[in-house]
Amino acid sequence: MMDLKLAQSFALVALNAQSSLYMTNAKKVSLRSMAAAVILEAYLEGCSTQADNGLTFRQEVLEKSSSTLYRETVLLPLLHNHAVVQGDLEWWLKKASMLSNKKLKKFEIAISDYLKAMNVLEEIPSLLGSDMYFDSAGVEMKAYRSHNGVYTSITENLRAEILEEGTVTDEIICMLWLLRESGCMHDFFSRNELEKINTRMHDLYRSNLWAKSLFRIQIHHGIELGIKQFLQMKSLFVKTYAGSSINFFFPFLERSQAVFVETEAWFDNSNKRLNTVLTRLESYGHEVKVIERGSIATIQIDNLLYDAMPHYVMMRVPIQGVRLVPKRPL
Amino acid sequence: MSRQRSMEAILASEHVSIGELVRITGSRYSTLKHYTEEGMLPFEQAEENLTRRYRREETVARIIWIKELKANGLSIPQIKEAIDAL
Repeated sequence: MMDLKLAQSFALVALNAQSSLYMTNAKKVSLRSMAAAVILEAYLEGCSTQADNGLTFRQEVLEKSSSTLYRETVLLPLLHNHAVVQGDLEWWLKKASMLSNKKLKKFEIAISDYLKAMNVLEEIPSLLGSDMYFDSAGVEMKAYRSHNGVYTSITENLRAEILEEGTVTDEIICMLWLLRESGCMHDFFSRNELEKINTRMHDLYRSNLWAKSLFRIQIHHGIELGIKQFLQMKSLFVKTYAGSSINFFFPFLERSQAVFVETEAWFDNSNKRLNTVLTRLESYGHEVKVIERGSIATIQIDNLLYDAMPHYVMMRVPIQGVRLVPKRPL
Repeated sequence: MSRQRSMEAILASEHVSIGELVRITGSRYSTLKHYTEEGMLPFEQAEENLTRRYRREETVARIIWIKELKANGLSIPQIKEAIDAL
């Protein structure tokens, strides 16, 4: 039970299971949204002043003792050595999300170090490293893993607030917007839930000033998220409400991957085969929990759910193993 | 503006929302929603579209008790019976 700020909470969700060594496309999208989360966090904390023509951030805010290095790595490049910079919310969010790769890397190091120091984030060997082909290639692959309890608390609190009737807090409005912009909505909500969220976001857009100013802003890059997937998902998930002025669609970005883990012996029983694979994953440093056994088992690996299917690949000899396929609420 | 309450404020308050129960008990939202719908977690609701409010101390104690019963192998209908017998 701990209080985390907006950017910290979102970073734990966005960085979980992402490569820590390489700047993958998925991680770049997450980092852009995380940088925008830093602006929202500073705004919610009252670090900016609001006037008719926008938000004003001052350099002196960064000199306060409560300022953090990760906040500085985002705000300093935007302040550009000026004592005061003014712009509307959209300008600030877009500027933050358009930091160069070098500055994004610096920001990633700052925020991941901060979260590691709080013992809520760690680096572990990547699940992809357990894949037979990667394992035998000798490529070092590492990934971030968020603390299971904290990760669950953040994501389940988000689900509870938006799926329940009643007031939605500003932090949850920000989280929804950040998840939408980073293409992660589908990782946390089923198709039916997304329809409900679409309705809730429409209601919020009409009744809540903060939601109205935030939901119309888009910082995602179509190419990074996949325009084709945009259109597919749009037709699947979105119902346009007659008379509404905004169409919420939830872009989708695949962040996890299917993995094939081979077994060293030949088993006639899928349970034994699964147990061998679980032991292997644990030996690689993964937190593994079997949710449901059966011919296709459901297992949780480092906060994410997978279907574990008995499988074999044909090389010179057939190789038996288990294919792990990401499982979504869909 | 409606801001999220700090953990300190939640732990000092008499009533909490289901989202806050998720935060303080580490339970899943779907689990608590199911318990609520099964009548295992009493709540107060001023009007239909307003937030359900739970009495913090007794609801947390109830959730811990349900978890213990589940760990001891009881099914949800059996747990409901145990709750009804209170």
